Amino acid sequence: MKSQNGDKQALVTIEIDGQKIEVEDGSYVLQAAQALGIEIPTLCYFPFTTPYAACRVCVVEARDGKGWSKVVTSCNYPAWDGLQILTDTPRVLNARRTNLELLMSRCAELPVLRNLAGKLGIEEPRWGTGEDSCILCGLCVRVCEEIVGASALTFASRGGARNVTTPFHEVSDDCILCGSCASVCPTGHIRLEDQDGKKVNLRELQLGPNSAITMPFRQAVPNVPYINTEHCIHFQTDNCGICAEVCPKECIDYEQKDSTEEFEVGAIVMATGFADFDPTPLKQYGYGALPNVISSIEFERMNNAAGSTGGKILMENGETPGRIGILHCVGSRDDDHHKYCSRVCCMYALKFAHLIKEKTGADVYQFYIDMRSFGKGYEEFYQRILDEGGNVIRGKGAEVVPASNKKKHEGHLIIKCEDTLIGRYREVPVDMVVLCTALEARADAKEMARKLNISTGADGWFIEQHPKLGPVQTATEGVFLAGTCQGAKDIPDTVAQGGAAAAQAMKLLCKGEIMMDATYAEIQEEYCSGCRICNDLCPYHAIEFNDEKCISVVNSALCKACGTCVAACPAGAITGRHFTDEQIYTQIEGMLA
Amino acid sequence: MNKSLRIGSPRELEAWRNLLTTNFDPNKTTITVCAGTGCRACGCKPVYRAFKEVIAKEGMAKEVELKATGCHGFCERGPLVVIRPSGIFYQRVKPADVKLIWDQTIIGGHTVKKLLYRDPATAEIIQQEVEIPFYKKQKRLIFEKNGYMDPFSIDDYIRLGGYESVVKALTTMQPEQIIEEVKRSGLRGRGGGGFLTGRKWASCRKAPGTPKYIICNADEGDPGAFMDRSLLEGNPHAVIEGMIIGAYAIGGSEGFVYVRNEYPLAVKTLNKALADCYECGLLGDNILGSGFSFDIEISRGGGAFVCGESTALMASLEGKVGEPRAKYIHTVEQGLWDKPSNLNNVETWANVPLIIEHGADWFASIGTEHSKGTKVFALTGKINNTGLVEVPMGITLREILYDIGGGVPGNKRFKAVQTGGPSGGTLIVETSQRDIHDSLVAHGDIREEEEARSLLDLPVDFDELTRAGSMMGSGGMIVMDEDSCMVDVARYFLSFLQEESCGKCIPCREGIAVMLEILNKISAGHGTLADIEQLELLSQGIIDTSLCQLGGSAPNPVLSTIRYFRQEYIAHVVDKTCPAGVCKELVSHAIDESCTGCHACVKPCPTNAIIGEPKQLHYIKQDDCIQCGACFQICRFDSIKRVKRGSGDALQEKARKLWQSGAGKKTPAAV
Repeated sequence: MKSQNGDKQALVTIEIDGQKIEVEDGSYVLQAAQALGIEIPTLCYFPFTTPYAACRVCVVEARDGKGWSKVVTSCNYPAWDGLQILTDTPRVLNARRTNLELLMSRCAELPVLRNLAGKLGIEEPRWGTGEDSCILCGLCVRVCEEIVGASALTFASRGGARNVTTPFHEVSDDCILCGSCASVCPTGHIRLEDQDGKKVNLRELQLGPNSAITMPFRQAVPNVPYINTEHCIHFQTDNCGICAEVCPKECIDYEQKDSTEEFEVGAIVMATGFADFDPTPLKQYGYGALPNVISSIEFERMNNAAGSTGGKILMENGETPGRIGILHCVGSRDDDHHKYCSRVCCMYALKFAHLIKEKTGADVYQFYIDMRSFGKGYEEFYQRILDEGGNVIRGKGAEVVPASNKKKHEGHLIIKCEDTLIGRYREVPVDMVVLCTALEARADAKEMARKLNISTGADGWFIEQHPKLGPVQTATEGVFLAGTCQGAKDIPDTVAQGGAAAAQAMKLLCKGEIMMDATYAEIQEEYCSGCRICNDLCPYHAIEFNDEKCISVVNSALCKACGTCVAACPAGAITGRHFTDEQIYTQIEGMLA
Repeated sequence: MNKSLRIGSPRELEAWRNLLTTNFDPNKTTITVCAGTGCRACGCKPVYRAFKEVIAKEGMAKEVELKATGCHGFCERGPLVVIRPSGIFYQRVKPADVKLIWDQTIIGGHTVKKLLYRDPATAEIIQQEVEIPFYKKQKRLIFEKNGYMDPFSIDDYIRLGGYESVVKALTTMQPEQIIEEVKRSGLRGRGGGGFLTGRKWASCRKAPGTPKYIICNADEGDPGAFMDRSLLEGNPHAVIEGMIIGAYAIGGSEGFVYVRNEYPLAVKTLNKALADCYECGLLGDNILGSGFSFDIEISRGGGAFVCGESTALMASLEGKVGEPRAKYIHTVEQGLWDKPSNLNNVETWANVPLIIEHGADWFASIGTEHSKGTKVFALTGKINNTGLVEVPMGITLREILYDIGGGVPGNKRFKAVQTGGPSGGTLIVETSQRDIHDSLVAHGDIREEEEARSLLDLPVDFDELTRAGSMMGSGGMIVMDEDSCMVDVARYFLSFLQEESCGKCIPCREGIAVMLEILNKISAGHGTLADIEQLELLSQGIIDTSLCQLGGSAPNPVLSTIRYFRQEYIAHVVDKTCPAGVCKELVSHAIDESCTGCHACVKPCPTNAIIGEPKQLHYIKQDDCIQCGACFQICRFDSIKRVKRGSGDALQEKARKLWQSGAGKKTPAAV
């Protein structure tokens, strides 16, 4: 072999199938071929790890033009000046075929091998077929070692017994559960194991790839991706760095840190929205356990043209469903979960029915308790769906079970329910079930409420100042509510409330000053001993301690004149304006007289 | 070592040697007991202890010296005892013989006839070690000191001229000069590849990067080969000396000896030798005041065959899984930890001091045009004189097998010899001249009208062996007689290689398995002619695309047996017979009329398939027989025959008739 010593940056000219290309001295032939658009099959090649040269299907013939020739693996054969490469001589094709057929004697039915076999003209492998699903390409091992830096996987045993495993076949503490091995595995031999009967939920709701780099959302401003440092391998092991390697503009900056910005504002509109009810605890519906049982938001995402199916309604096996069941009130109107009605489900469920009809022509079955089409034009829409042939069954879905093979059901799943209109138990076969999950308050709503001195109700929604007189205001001056953080509501209501909240905020800001009640607490400086008992008692954080004077001071703009501090002050230094002790005593006397 | 002083200069080493020589009385009686692994297995330790006791008892410790040496090579006849300076050679010595030797030889000055070697060919009793045919034809250069020194004693090695070459190299030669000398000597790597050592050293010296590593490959894995082990066990200093010279020439500062853990004695001797070298300053900083520093470390391997491959060995040294990588960039440029690394085999290193001491011209005068020096072979299998032989390159197979090896035991016919270990090939030795001729013509080695030279007259060197379809390898030489089935031999080696394949690349991992499957089919009698063709085709694919030489040479046993024994393969697939009677599925065991009714075969039969009263003709129930061959082994009258599957009943019926007619009964009477 010719030597490729010296400066690695030096350029050499090589010839591949007659096409000349200039490449770095010592760079690999496969990369040059790919740059020329010449296809060379590979099974164990991954551009970001060191070439492994184990599969031997990327072989090419190397020549020096003077009679020397050798079959070499292109993935790791270094280029040298004057090298001639032939990628499709009979010798090369024969070697590729032989090696692929040998590999198929271990594992034949893998799509990746069948595809390649088709390209190489192999109909039936000569030396039998095996059933292993691991082709021992070592991609997982190398990615785990070189990119992830965890080295949690390795090859064990020799020869035919060789296999990929964790050290000593035990769950490895070094595994950081990044899933890189599974994502790089060309055959699906490595899978992320479901835990506790729950599927590993990836971003894009099981419908798309998982990634630590993502766009926040489609309309984000600025519309640039960000790195989820919690999941990024680089931030866990200090390795990887593939994104920085592939970014042509060198935009990846691992040094960027999350920062907290402080803004001074005159008013706050709370529009923190709702959370989606997790239907997993409702075991009877089989969410997470049965295939093709999905939540309404997942179905919504599937319908979205920007979603991973491109807006097509598909089952997990990639087929279009023929019958779809929609279960209303999953988590709503349920004594065990949320007693309230989520208000939006009936209408979006009807919308789903319409979309399904339009896109797939599938039969749709709605299982409802009451059809609540209360808004303007809603009842008409309901009628339209009925006219379109949508099936509605009055009765809450009792259970979803997989269809048994014995009975020749049309679908894959069975929805059991009591049809209350005909007074009968029914079993409806379907291919897919959509669960109309409840809208619920966000888990962090209570924390937010505490921060802003507003309160939450029993359901967790923020409480407005007054249901009729102050529907967007809160107990705290300058804090307003908009949308589903205040309670389940649909889009028109949300928009209207948002407008109202914005107007209320503007009202405050336009004035430039605020009007406050005349009643508030006052501390008489000469009596205050600086004991600070009142500081912590004030529910509105209106009392602060003045370090210089060593006394407590009331911020009259925050004080709501509740009187807590007045009653608590041991020195009697605090009085409520317009509610002095004398005034109250006098009033009491007057009443008693 | 009775010296705690560090040797700081060549003069001090010379002074030490002089002191040792002065104190050494060449006429003092020395009893050397071979303590190589072979002789240990035969029980040399009790013999050594017995001698020690006698000397102590007689109070002759001053007059008689007792020495446990390394392997003498003639393992077949162990335990060996040589009395020096007279050179009387005793073989198969038992502890009970010690008193006899003491009284008769040491005290009396006579020889003990029953312990002397008797040449089976001439029945002549031979007294001197050098006169024995086994040693006579050998040219023992690297094994020369083995019989004279205690491997645990650096004093012995120094006295015998050890480290003289290091002095010469470090004080009088430039590194380039040494490389030139090694190049001129024509020394080729003894590990198997046969690459020119001098050229390898030059490339490594030239390669950029420091440090440069010097590695000794002592991962000897071929079944039946044990020359590296014996060398390390018998004379570890020769290897260390070679490595020091190599390191100086190449510019290396760190050395490793990669030795398998299954060689505990070699590890022990090597450890002691290294410790001694460090203590007296032959290793470490500023060796002999020359300013050159070199360290050697032992790394013990787990015994994987593939770790004998240089890149796999280096991966293992690094602490990784021992699997090879592509050598498109040579290890002399990027080897151990991606640094320039020079790896040579134990035997190669041991040759280096000889070349420096005697000069390249002397070395080049031994051997053939392209293969210089001597080569150690491990002669095993169906041969009378099992053992290690060191012969000059170019010696013929006939000389090795007949003159040194003493031919095949038990009046059997020579059939083949397998060289080069599992990756090597099987060479036909005795068959009709016609077959050899046809085979050679078919492979284009000779023209149709030329006369084929018997492979027995093949001069053994790197190129001739390769041309004949085998290879030198590390020097294993397994002799097979007529009872060896060539399909079975190929099957044995392939199953060894399949187990030892690291499993990294497809051609080796899957290809060998598929070939083995085909061979299994053939030996079970289910093969077809197309299968033989398939084997040849597959072999070519594996040779072409395997990642390392283990895979690249794996088909050799199959190709070479097909090449020379195609008829035997055809017998398996067409006639469904195994001519050697080895392949169980193709043979039946049957008893012929020569049966004496001795009843010996009845008991060992695991399935009770042999029926017969004592002194009556026995017969084997064919349905119950599992062809294990236990009866075949035990029968002393050759009455149990291996015949073509299914023809056992006929043979037995014939025997029964002969017995009934009275013809058979004569045999027991005659015995």
